Amino acid sequence: MVDVREDILARLLEVVAGIPNLRSAQRNNVDIPEDLLPAAIVFDGDEETSDATDATMRPPNRPTLVTMTPEIVIAQQADEVGSDITTLRRELIRRVLTDAELNEQIVKTGRHGNGAIRYLGCQTDVGWMRSLHGALRAQFAFKYTLKPDEL
Amino acid sequence: MIDYSALLYDPVYAELGVDAVFVAAGTAGEAAITVIDDTRQKSLIAGSAEVRSVGPGAFARIPELARNGIARADYVDATLSFNGRAWTVRSYELRGSPNGEDFGEVRFLLKEAASTDG
Repeated sequence: MVDVREDILARLLEVVAGIPNLRSAQRNNVDIPEDLLPAAIVFDGDEETSDATDATMRPPNRPTLVTMTPEIVIAQQADEVGSDITTLRRELIRRVLTDAELNEQIVKTGRHGNGAIRYLGCQTDVGWMRSLHGALRAQFAFKYTLKPDEL
Repeated sequence: MIDYSALLYDPVYAELGVDAVFVAAGTAGEAAITVIDDTRQKSLIAGSAEVRSVGPGAFARIPELARNGIARADYVDATLSFNGRAWTVRSYELRGSPNGEDFGEVRFLLKEAASTDG
């Protein structure tokens, strides 16, 4: 069994957990108390294919290309929350886009296959709680081959 | 005219108020006042996640502040200590009374002491 989607998300959590100075890294946790900050949460992403417009006689179990767009939330409360979030964002992008296991073994980008990893962008929010709070939501696209016979 | 300070605020503060120390920014002078702790649960949404914390705040009577020589210009960046914690006033909102805003309350919006804008 090969489930590339799950492999991507599991590795993504490992990569995110390696970002220096994070106090917690979790997957799909929607309830974060302040003592877990700075925190990163990996949210499972939606998937899309172009198969809806595929009117060929291709058998349904033939491989197809899938694009998954997981979201990663980084939250922090601190005096210098703006600088903290910027630093964490920089580490996040660099680590996801350059991780050898994600690129070479799971998604198979570049010379390793026809997969791709892209940073799509981010949105930020700030507000006051016990101290200044900041959050960043970053989206990535993972294009990979879905092989129904291997699921 | 009803004296809302004597008939409303003072009895409420006598019952719910706690001792506090107010120190205006850049001064060493302490003023002993009474505040009502108004620290509330607060959460902020970040995408699908909800981060939970508190929104610290405290009510004080403007006449009491004035009696202690504390003017409105002294509010922001002052240190306010009560219930075992020290806070910095980051902002405030006035709660006027029927006798006029100078006889009403101020709600101090607080942040952890030693915190600066990020």
